[in-house]
Formats: sequence, C-alpha cells, structure tokens
Amino acid sequence: MTEKQKGPMTLSRFDKLASNRQRLLLVGVFGFIVVLFVFPLIASGFWMRTLTLLFLLAAMAQGWNFIGGYTGYAAFGNVAFFGIGAYGTALSMLRLHFPFLPALLVGGAAAMAFAVVIGLPVLRLKGHYFAIATVALATALGEVADFWTDFTGGAAGLTLPFFRPISLSNYFFYYLALLLVLLGLGLTYLIMNRKLGYSWVAIREDEDAAKMMGINTTWAKVVAFALSALMAGLAGGIYAYWNTFVLAEEVFKIEYTLQMILATVLGGPGTIFGPFIGAFMYYILITLLVFFLPVGQLHETILGTIIILVMVFTPQGIMDFLSGRKKLTLSSLLENIRMHRV
Amino acid sequence: MSSLELTQGVVNAILLSGTLALVAIGFSIVWGILNIINIAHGAFIMLGAYITYWLFTLFGIDPFLSIPLSMLTLFIVGYLIQRYLINLVIRAPLLVTFLLTFAMEIVIINLATFFWKGDLRSVTPAYSGAGLTLGMVQIPYIRLAAFFISLFLTGLLHVFMTYTKAGNAIRATGMDIDAARLQGVKIAHTYALTFAIGSALAGAAGSLISVSFPIDPTMGGAYTLRAFLICVLGGLGSIPAVMLGALVYAFIEVFSGIYAPGLKDAIALFVLVLVLIVRPTGIAGKAFYH
Repeated sequence: MTEKQKGPMTLSRFDKLASNRQRLLLVGVFGFIVVLFVFPLIASGFWMRTLTLLFLLAAMAQGWNFIGGYTGYAAFGNVAFFGIGAYGTALSMLRLHFPFLPALLVGGAAAMAFAVVIGLPVLRLKGHYFAIATVALATALGEVADFWTDFTGGAAGLTLPFFRPISLSNYFFYYLALLLVLLGLGLTYLIMNRKLGYSWVAIREDEDAAKMMGINTTWAKVVAFALSALMAGLAGGIYAYWNTFVLAEEVFKIEYTLQMILATVLGGPGTIFGPFIGAFMYYILITLLVFFLPVGQLHETILGTIIILVMVFTPQGIMDFLSGRKKLTLSSLLENIRMHRV
Repeated sequence: MSSLELTQGVVNAILLSGTLALVAIGFSIVWGILNIINIAHGAFIMLGAYITYWLFTLFGIDPFLSIPLSMLTLFIVGYLIQRYLINLVIRAPLLVTFLLTFAMEIVIINLATFFWKGDLRSVTPAYSGAGLTLGMVQIPYIRLAAFFISLFLTGLLHVFMTYTKAGNAIRATGMDIDAARLQGVKIAHTYALTFAIGSALAGAAGSLISVSFPIDPTMGGAYTLRAFLICVLGGLGSIPAVMLGALVYAFIEVFSGIYAPGLKDAIALFVLVLVLIVRPTGIAGKAFYH
C-alpha cells in the first residue's frame, strides 16, 4: 500500500490507432458521422433539435476532455465558459450589432480569454482545491450575471432575433453544432499526436516528473483550459442564438458541467472518441430511463443513480471495451472495486 | 453604518459562527481522514433539518430535543453509505469520489423535493421570537442556544477524538493508514465510523439551522460551500482551526450581507478563490486530523 496504486483512469493511454480493432472503430465512427450528415434529409424537426442539443453537449464534453480527461484536472466549473460564450455572443449581436458568426467568435474568444486569466492562478491549485475553486468561480459568475442588470438584462434576460429564414433554422443549427463536434474531434486528434498532447498526459500521470522533463506545465495546462473554454464558449454562443434567449440561471446551471463530465466519463476520459460516444450514451440512457420509468419529477434521481453506478463499475468509460483494451465481463466490471476498495 | 448596526452585526456574526463551525467540522473530519470532499454534506444537513421539522410538526416535539434523534439517524445513514458504497471506490482518483458524492447529493435533494415538495418551511416553537436585549442589541434565545449547543458538540467531538479508543483509531488512520492497520485498526469500519460522525454532526447542524432559518430541500448546497470555505480559511489540521475559520467566515458573510446583499455569495466565493490562490498548496498543510 505504500506504493501508489494506479487506477485504470491514470493508466497511460496514447491512443495510437494501431490495432485492427481501433481501425474498425475509426471506420465505424466516420461512417456514423456521414450518417449524421445525411440524417436531416429524413429527420423530423424534433429529432434534429434533439441531436443539435446532443452535439452541443458532445462539443462541451470534448472540451472538458482536454482539461479533465487528458490533463487530469477535475474542472467542475466549465459551465462558466458556456455562459460567457452565450452572453458574449448575445451582447455582441445586441449591443454591437454584429452578424451571428462574428458574434459567435467573440463569444468563443471571450470564454478563452477568461480561461487564460483565471487559469493562470487557479491552475496552480491541485485536487480538491482546484475542483472547488472552479465550482466557486462558475457559481459566483452566474450570480454576478444575474445581479448586473444594466449589462446582462439580469433576471429579465436577453432576447435575440430569430434566425431567418425560419424554415432553414433547424438545418442551420444542426449543421453548425455538428461542425463544432468535428472541430472538437479534429483538434483532439491533432493535439494528441503532438508534443502538447504528450505534455498533457505526462502532467496527468505525474506533474512534478513532467516538469523535471522540461515540459512547460503552466503553459500546457493553460492551453488545455483555454481550449476547453473555447469549445464550451462556442457551444454557448450557438445555444444562445438557437434559443433566442439568454438567462443567467439557465446558462450557468451546474447541471451542464455535470452532463459534460458524465458524457466524457461514460465514453472514456482521455480518448479521442470517448466524449462523442459518451454524449450519445448519455442521451440514450436518459431517454430509455425516462421512457420506462415515467416519473418526470424523479429525472435527477435517475441521473444521479447512473453517475453512481458508472463511478462504481466503469469510471474509465466504454472506450476501454470498444477499443479492445478490455473484455466486457462481470470480472472486468468488478475490477474497479477490486482495485480501489479498502 | 451606526455603531448600533455595527455591534448588532458583530453579535450576529459570533452567534452564526457557532452553527457554522458545527457545519464545517463534520465536513473537515471526513475530508481530513478519508480525503473525500463530501458534496452531499449539505444534503445531510437538509435531512437533519427535516427530521426536526417533522418531529415538531407531527408530534410537537421540541426542536432542541430532536437533535439526538436527528444525529442518530444521520449517523446510521452515513455509516451505511460509507461502508457499502464509498468504501468500494475510496482509493480511486479524485474525480470518482467527487462525482460519487455529487450524485448522492442530487439523488437526496431530488427525492426530498419529490416527497416533501419544494416549499419553504419553518420550525416555530412558542419561544422562537423571545430574546435578550442588551442595551439596543438583540440576542434571540434560540440563536444563543444554538451557539452553545454547537460549542458543546464540538467539545464532545474533541473529547471523543482524544480520549477514546475509536477516536484514536480514526486519528491514527488519518496519520498513517498502514501503521494503523498494523496496530489492528479495522480500516473499513473506521472509515465508515468517521463518515458517520461527520454525517451525525451535519444532522445536528441541520436541526439547529431549522430553528433559526426557513428550510427547503435545496438549502444544503450553500452550506457545503460554506463548509469548504471555512476549512480553507481556517485550515484542515484541527478543531480550533475550523472554529477560527468559521468565525472569520461569519464576519465576511454578515458584513457583506449588510453592504451588498445581492452579491453575498459571490463575495464569499471570490474570497475563497483569492485565499486559494494566495496559498496554492492548500491551507491544509497536513492531510490529517490531530
């Protein structure tokens, strides 16, 4: 027990697409994305809206994966970036009369800038302290947005114009959100085959050792945090225009942070496809459970129970099974308990 | 601000610090010994508050007399949760236990809202309005009583940790788990006992809070954050440190409430982040409880 026992979540994963199994997975995911591109041809508006929300969640989860999955920092306040992206986009459109796309970039940039400014001091914290500091910042920011009525509209919120023509609105947001997911996949793939990606994994495994090997850990962590903010900020901006309404209580909800973490953890933290697959798993699980247990008010109990079960049995996500690193058996499900119980 | 307001503010802050110390000590002992941030701590406080509320409303039992029952119930709940759930993954990376207690909080609050509805409720015994008046300063009896009961329970915990075998086992486990095991300490049981004590203190705090403030199922989250803040301000090492943290925090809360009511929580949270940044290694210094 004196030597530190490492759980599956801290095992090295360099995601080299080496084995056949992984090549198959790659083909599967890309086939799936092609299907998603043609899906609107047959889909109803309801399904397109559901999938748009799902893509936004997947994009936020991909962002969280940079800081939480690869770098190993338990960021619990990423909803702050979603909120900043939403307000940045909305305010640029309303106050500066920007068209949507430049306004969206302003929202994303604002989230990134905030991540750099708070990341420099906050990323010096470790473990619980970092986790709570990020929760606190997100909560405090939501309260400030609610209170600062002159700037943010306060409790009355901000109302945005509709996308025109309205008949194309569903398609526009669907493809925009899908493109954001592809941006996330592309970014993850590019970074993980470069020095930056290896730096992140090295920091997760042992930050002091990484520093001794000459990695600029501060820079690597701030970049991870800023990129996770960019993804959440862009998702927030798209959400704001899509919803045509921004309210502090809504865009700073801590449930969003939980959802992006859960999607990442369900899929596989520290993997390229994990957050994307996990977002789908999360939606399917929620939909099935709500369908079979029609007690709407107990929705959060169901969500909480799923989190508990995942944490006890497979905190390393489904990617371990999909990529062939592990077989799905009873004993592999109990492995987490075997390794981490007292 | 007049000197009367100032004096009243000081008195309120001191009275508040007692309950807050009780809130934070249960949280800090779990953090210190088990290395778990128990996000569900506030939900346990809420359960304690509702136990007092129902005993008072249904059976007319005096809120202060319901404290032992509220502590006993939460002790059992806490023991079972740690023994049969958290113990399964206690040595997993931080994210796992953090999300686990987060999920527990969501479930408890959601079930409480489902069964008891989200309405604000309050416990109002006949003496709830009575108080001392010293000069112009008001001191309600219930807050005074809550203050002294908090001090008493804190003292009791100190005696337990220092002079009993079980208390020593808990401290030993926090200091060096291997050495404790070699001395015959049953780790799984000791962990569960520690968590149970933390939960029982949360239950007592909930009972005391229900007398002074209105309660609802989501009341706990604010107390979890306060508990964390107090532990960070004071330090994790000892009971007096937590009490000092509670006193400092109570002054921040009372006086920011007077000057900027809408931003009360935001100010407290920014202070938290500031303190964390100024002392990035954690104020804890030591990862165990003396």
